[in-house]
Amino acid sequence: MSTYVYGITAATHPSLPEGTGGVGDPPREVRILKEGGLAAVVSDAPEGLRPKRRELLAHQNVLSEVGADGCVLPMRFGSIAPDDKAVTGVLAERAEHYAERLGALDGRVEYNVKATHVEEAVLHHVMAQNPEIRALAESNRQAGGGTYETKIRLGEMVAAAVKDKEAEDATTLERALEPAADAVSVGPESTGWLANVSFLVKREAADDFLEAVERARGDMPHLEVRLNGPLPPYSFVEPGPAEPAGTAAGGADAGAG
Amino acid sequence: MTVVPAQQTGGGGGSSGLYDVLELVLDRGLVIDAFVRVSLVGIEILKIDVRVVVASVDTYLRFAEACNRLDLEAGPRKDPGLPDLVGEMTESGARGKSKGALSGAAETISDAFKQARDEGGSERETSSRPRARKAAPPRRKEEQE
Repeated sequence: MSTYVYGITAATHPSLPEGTGGVGDPPREVRILKEGGLAAVVSDAPEGLRPKRRELLAHQNVLSEVGADGCVLPMRFGSIAPDDKAVTGVLAERAEHYAERLGALDGRVEYNVKATHVEEAVLHHVMAQNPEIRALAESNRQAGGGTYETKIRLGEMVAAAVKDKEAEDATTLERALEPAADAVSVGPESTGWLANVSFLVKREAADDFLEAVERARGDMPHLEVRLNGPLPPYSFVEPGPAEPAGTAAGGADAGAG
Repeated sequence: MTVVPAQQTGGGGGSSGLYDVLELVLDRGLVIDAFVRVSLVGIEILKIDVRVVVASVDTYLRFAEACNRLDLEAGPRKDPGLPDLVGEMTESGARGKSKGALSGAAETISDAFKQARDEGGSERETSSRPRARKAAPPRRKEEQE
């Protein structure tokens, strides 16, 4: 029977969610494996586990429960050990490392901030700051929309200006929130959002951080800022840069082992 | 105003926040090389897809149209404040209105999810469709599951 691993915490954690429902349908019961000063939060691994919404939620819920009362090193979704012994083996082998991380992250939580432009507002900005774009838009309009070529040209100019603005706003937002956090982890760039940044925040300083977010929202009304947290410190489990995503793409199947 | 989700403890399977947290659950967190990982077919694809858009003819045309519709007279003056607009957008919760090319990711993610769900994860159907916008916000779809 292979073992699904949710996270690693201290054996002294005050309220481990033993018996809670974990991944799988029906939900597999959460168990605790202790080894030395550490504890792994695990359950049986269901056959053919897939990254479905309910499974991701189950993973996240178990970790939220552990994280509510103490520090936990959250595993990435879908980590499966051949058996319980393999889990305790890893705990024993890397005890020092995990203890160090738990110490470093103790009393801290992750807040993830994602921002997008309010499109109309950013277009106003871009037009306001760029006479060339304004002129071309105006001449297009007077020509009843403009030709395909002039539309493309305008669109290209706008897209470039919006991109610059995205980078500028991402930096501004990050700088605005950074002082209220212990550490910052910038997520992968994508066109889905202009900023995707996680902040490690002391629990007792959470209010300051939330205030900083509110201030940033007020200062930059052309951004939609989405805040999620407090979360287990997904982005801060490793001291160095995160492993490249490719390492996870081995296609290892849930059924294995 | 965007709601800050309360601490997500307990089994309250509310999907709010899940979408934004997904990427963390899937992409960050501790990896132990002695353990195997569940195959993320479909989800891996999303990582590639999510980076497309912006530099496309579709986007250019859409921006051009949007600029033509903007009220230039009111535009520059009104620009810094825009409280009405922002209030309206966030209050209605209609994220769909504000994105278009600026965020194709939402659909891509939920598509990838659907894909993964439908098992046929290797189909690249969802790729390179920057304009494939649905009327319903992406969360709606997730909630159907």
